[in-house]
Amino acid sequence: MTAAQTLMIASPLEALRSVATTMAATFVAVPECPIGAHSGTDSAWCHVDALEEWRAETARGPKADAIVVAVWPATNAAASFTTLSPTEFARRSEWPFVAWYASLGAAIARCATGGTIVALIERPSPLDCAGWAPEGGTADAVEALVRSLARSEGPRGVRVNAVTTPTRLAPARPVAPYPPLNSFPGTIEHDVTNAVSMLLGPGVAGVTGTVVHADCGRSWR
Amino acid sequence: MSEHVVLITGASGGVGRGIAIACGTAGWTVWIAARRRAEGEQVATEVDSVGGHGHFVECDAGDADDVTRLVAEIVATSVRLDGVVHNATSGLSPKPVVFADVPLSELEDHVAVSLRGMHTLAVAAYPHLRESKGSFVALTSEAGFEGKAKLSVYAAIKAAQRGIVRSLAREWGPDGIRVNCVAPLAGTPAMERAFVMDPDMASRVLGRNPLGRMGDPATDVGPIVRFLLSDDARYLTGNTLMADGGSCPIS
Repeated sequence: MTAAQTLMIASPLEALRSVATTMAATFVAVPECPIGAHSGTDSAWCHVDALEEWRAETARGPKADAIVVAVWPATNAAASFTTLSPTEFARRSEWPFVAWYASLGAAIARCATGGTIVALIERPSPLDCAGWAPEGGTADAVEALVRSLARSEGPRGVRVNAVTTPTRLAPARPVAPYPPLNSFPGTIEHDVTNAVSMLLGPGVAGVTGTVVHADCGRSWR
Repeated sequence: MSEHVVLITGASGGVGRGIAIACGTAGWTVWIAARRRAEGEQVATEVDSVGGHGHFVECDAGDADDVTRLVAEIVATSVRLDGVVHNATSGLSPKPVVFADVPLSELEDHVAVSLRGMHTLAVAAYPHLRESKGSFVALTSEAGFEGKAKLSVYAAIKAAQRGIVRSLAREWGPDGIRVNCVAPLAGTPAMERAFVMDPDMASRVLGRNPLGRMGDPATDVGPIVRFLLSDDARYLTGNTLMADGGSCPIS
């Protein structure tokens, strides 16, 4: 697979750029969350026109055989759902949702017939998800989008799957019992990247609409 | 149990109406929140007629001020709040669209009603549910498990609600508040319209259903939600009950 054939549409984080480098993928940056960056606006929807333009522009690029999509916030801290302000909820839930939708839409347009798309999702492990309601909601939403796309893109031979990781969301002391692998929560550069590469590869040509939890056994469904 | 006080959003018809009636049959006080006044007041009357106490409040679940005012009015009138059912969903939910053709601006109504509305409702209801050791139920869908080729936004939103419920159950558990989802498959006016628009849909929906019929909102789905709201389900939280006649093969 050459660099020209692999595309990564992702948030401009160093960890995700490293994934792209490892896979020799062309990197396209997803716009960062603008909420709170400008005075007078605190709604995701004030910025949706700009995101729409970005989606259209990104969709016009050259086709790729393999595409990885990852929309991750710069950083967040665990917080109980009812303490989130409306602005925080918009920043942690509404913007990621619309940004994922835009990014996957661009990926569909760029994906060649017979190609494959993998969504790389940050997902709090079920046992450790207290304080991560917006992130858990977004993760489940993206899993559903992946299954929707597997259905709609399947007829043209495009496979759509997902890899989840709790790497940045895992607590220092996970809820007991400890995950099966002591390496929990895993590493982006090895565990996660290798799972993504597996799903992009021809060895899983019959696999679509599947979610692989690269979380050292923490999730069991 | 007759003092049980519950709030149901989007209860002026369909599944929400069925839940309201099911709760009414237990003698509960049922607050029906919806945008459609005439239909909502009719449901309140139906609740009264089956032995409950129905109240209607005009409310847009996507409007934070409306939702906050709604909860305040309930507590001011009924003194307590034992259960909340977030059933309201965007009017765009059944609109079939191709993924790439969905204008991003169109996502806002889905998010406002189902996700932002759920957040606002949880914030407003939390102190009262903590006091009553109550129950919060979100209406999700099998679409949220399986995805839908032409209802991708709806499917994603319904999945997101499940993810939020999973966390909220862990956050509110120490307070004695339970949080669950129900994924119904019910014969509603909206579903009937969908069958008319897509003649093959009925065979697709019913062909996989071992019970071979659509659920009745009041007698099939409503009692399941009522169970989750009741003390009978006091050890059940963080779950999704499939009220779909076995349609969705996830077990």
